[in-house]
Amino acid sequence: MRQTYIVAYDICDPKRLRKVFKLMRGWGDHLQLSVFQCELNPRELVELRAGLGQLLHHDEDQVLFVNVGPVEGRGATSITALGRPYTHPERHAIVA
Amino acid sequence: MTSTESAALAEPAGPHAKYLRRRSLEPGAPPALVPARMLNEVTYCERLMYLEWVQSEFEDNEFTVEGRAVHRRADQPRPLKKADPKRPPGPPDRAAADQGEEDEGEDEAPPPSTPPPYTARAVWLSSERLGITAKIDVVDVEGGTVVPVEYKRGKRPSVPEGAYLPERVQLCAQVLVLRDHGFRCEEGHLYFAADRQRVPIAIDEPLVEATLAAVVRARALVELGAIPPPLADSPKCNGCSLVAICLPDEVNLLRDGAREEPPAPPTFMEQLEHHDVEELGDDPWGLGPLQPAPEPREDGDRELRRLHPARDDRVPLYVKEQGAYVGLKGERLEVRRKDQRVVEARLSNTSQVCLFGNVQLTTQALRALLERGIPVSFFSLGGWFIGRAVAHDSRNVELRVAQHAAASDPALCLRLARGFVQSKILNSRTLLRRNSREPNAVALGELNQLARKALEAEELASLLGIEGTAARTYFGQFNSMLTERARVDEQLLLAGRNRRPPRDPLNAMLSYTYSLLSKDLTLAVVTAGLDPLLGFYHQPRFGRPALALDLMEEFRPLIADSVVLGAVNNEIVGRRDFVETAAGVNMSATARRDLALAYERRMDQLVTHPIFGYRISYRRVLEVQARLLGRVLTGEITEYPPFRTR
Repeated sequence: MRQTYIVAYDICDPKRLRKVFKLMRGWGDHLQLSVFQCELNPRELVELRAGLGQLLHHDEDQVLFVNVGPVEGRGATSITALGRPYTHPERHAIVA
Repeated sequence: MTSTESAALAEPAGPHAKYLRRRSLEPGAPPALVPARMLNEVTYCERLMYLEWVQSEFEDNEFTVEGRAVHRRADQPRPLKKADPKRPPGPPDRAAADQGEEDEGEDEAPPPSTPPPYTARAVWLSSERLGITAKIDVVDVEGGTVVPVEYKRGKRPSVPEGAYLPERVQLCAQVLVLRDHGFRCEEGHLYFAADRQRVPIAIDEPLVEATLAAVVRARALVELGAIPPPLADSPKCNGCSLVAICLPDEVNLLRDGAREEPPAPPTFMEQLEHHDVEELGDDPWGLGPLQPAPEPREDGDRELRRLHPARDDRVPLYVKEQGAYVGLKGERLEVRRKDQRVVEARLSNTSQVCLFGNVQLTTQALRALLERGIPVSFFSLGGWFIGRAVAHDSRNVELRVAQHAAASDPALCLRLARGFVQSKILNSRTLLRRNSREPNAVALGELNQLARKALEAEELASLLGIEGTAARTYFGQFNSMLTERARVDEQLLLAGRNRRPPRDPLNAMLSYTYSLLSKDLTLAVVTAGLDPLLGFYHQPRFGRPALALDLMEEFRPLIADSVVLGAVNNEIVGRRDFVETAAGVNMSATARRDLALAYERRMDQLVTHPIFGYRISYRRVLEVQARLLGRVLTGEITEYPPFRTR
């Protein structure tokens, strides 16, 4: 069962920041500066955490994981926006 | 080596001679050395050990991924390092480890009289005598004694022994191997990463006994060459990562249903009891009382635990844009055309990639896809399934040997083929009965009769005839399933099934969806470890994926035909989407896209499994059916369970 996570990070070094950003792009959608929305199953969450854990300097950087709820439930409805519009990512086959 | 250490070498010989003697080292026998990891598995579940070791099957779940992450540092061999005497027991934190590396070169040589404590990582030791090979995460050496440390991802369990039996057996194997190499080794440690605790494990006589018995058992199972039966309704299956490959409850149901079981051979745990190992107790894993197996309901509909995920929720990527190229950008695939980005797809969210016609795929992207085990399929522009790229063939040789043996057995081929054809006829009858505006009773009766005749067919040739007759009856009624509005347009109607090239729009759509379906069945069959080219009903010819076509029969009406019907009846495609040429009818690019999307929606739909009773997506059903066919071929279950809707 996939859950929606808001992942926010605070990285103290520009080089590491780029690395973390690049890794995060593989797991979710870039919502705002240093904020991603990810839809992860338990295995993917562990993979993401392990990947980040290797990049971070654990005494100065920080990554927060906020579980918003199941993708087909609260995860889809609990995010609203002011200002620029927010579109919820849809899961369906990509046909280009 | 001191004299006391060499004395420890001979230690386990006496009391365990019976185990050591039974181990054969003749050429041709199963591998002489059992990995300590497999001793853990055989103690946990014999079938798991067989799947992982003999059949080389593996699958990741959150626990195995986390376990690997915990092991990452311990798995890297590095130069011997002095342990910090002030550090409390436990692996060093990151900062201390980095510090240690920098300091290493500057240290003075230790005084020769008292060697300072040091640790070694990823120590791989084997013992021919014991028949064990072990990769030890960490070995702590201090004052002539060594302590192996095994990393575990979870928390320390609250049992008096400090850990459950499989982990202790694995650790004990490491201790025995160390002793066999002449080290003095009194105990081993388990390091639980979740609560960062190091737990000393006593290596007592019953544990040594259990470990050596596990070696004998593992080798006996390998020698026997038959996969052990699944655990019955066991809570151990819940966290097991191989559950979608093993299919424990499904296989148990089909075995029970097919015949009266001879009493199962004693499991490893039962065998241990004969050796008077009382210490193990009734519930060595602390999993609590086993739930009694659910009583089968009166009507025979047992609902099984669905232990594997209901659907694969990653999404496929189709590229039909001519002249586009697919490249890799970080952790994403990027589809570009004329330097314009068309679309992006995350690798972690991609289940497969399908390329139609003139689409470029960079080597970097192809390699990234293969590394992650994401299959790539190639089609012609018109949708003809040309081939696929996969990382490696399945390593399950046993299954492939069984498939080839089965394909040369005419009786088994006929039995399987009868089932495929019967299911196809019955499923198409169901589709007709459910969707016809005015069901034609004569046609339905005829299909019923043909389905019965399919089961009695004496040879493959007559089965082909029955299938052809049924197809004519079914496609003769196909137009009755269209809505009034769709039927007004006479050019849209199906004039019998024709192909290569299709001569009307419905035939073009059917050919297109069948092609997509044959691609997905080919992938499902390959995932299950079978050879897609070697079929039982369809004979192998010119690289045709015959086995995929066999399995596809029962899904043609359920998936492809129903997608086409839905697309026409819901006016997703219409007359405007087709171009008639001298060579046949072609679909427009938008129709091809919309039909592919409709097909993928259908594959994602949840359906109740007719035999197992749980909800599962069509996409996963294909894989489950392919795996069950594999179990039929290896003889574990006798009848292939057809997928038929009601």
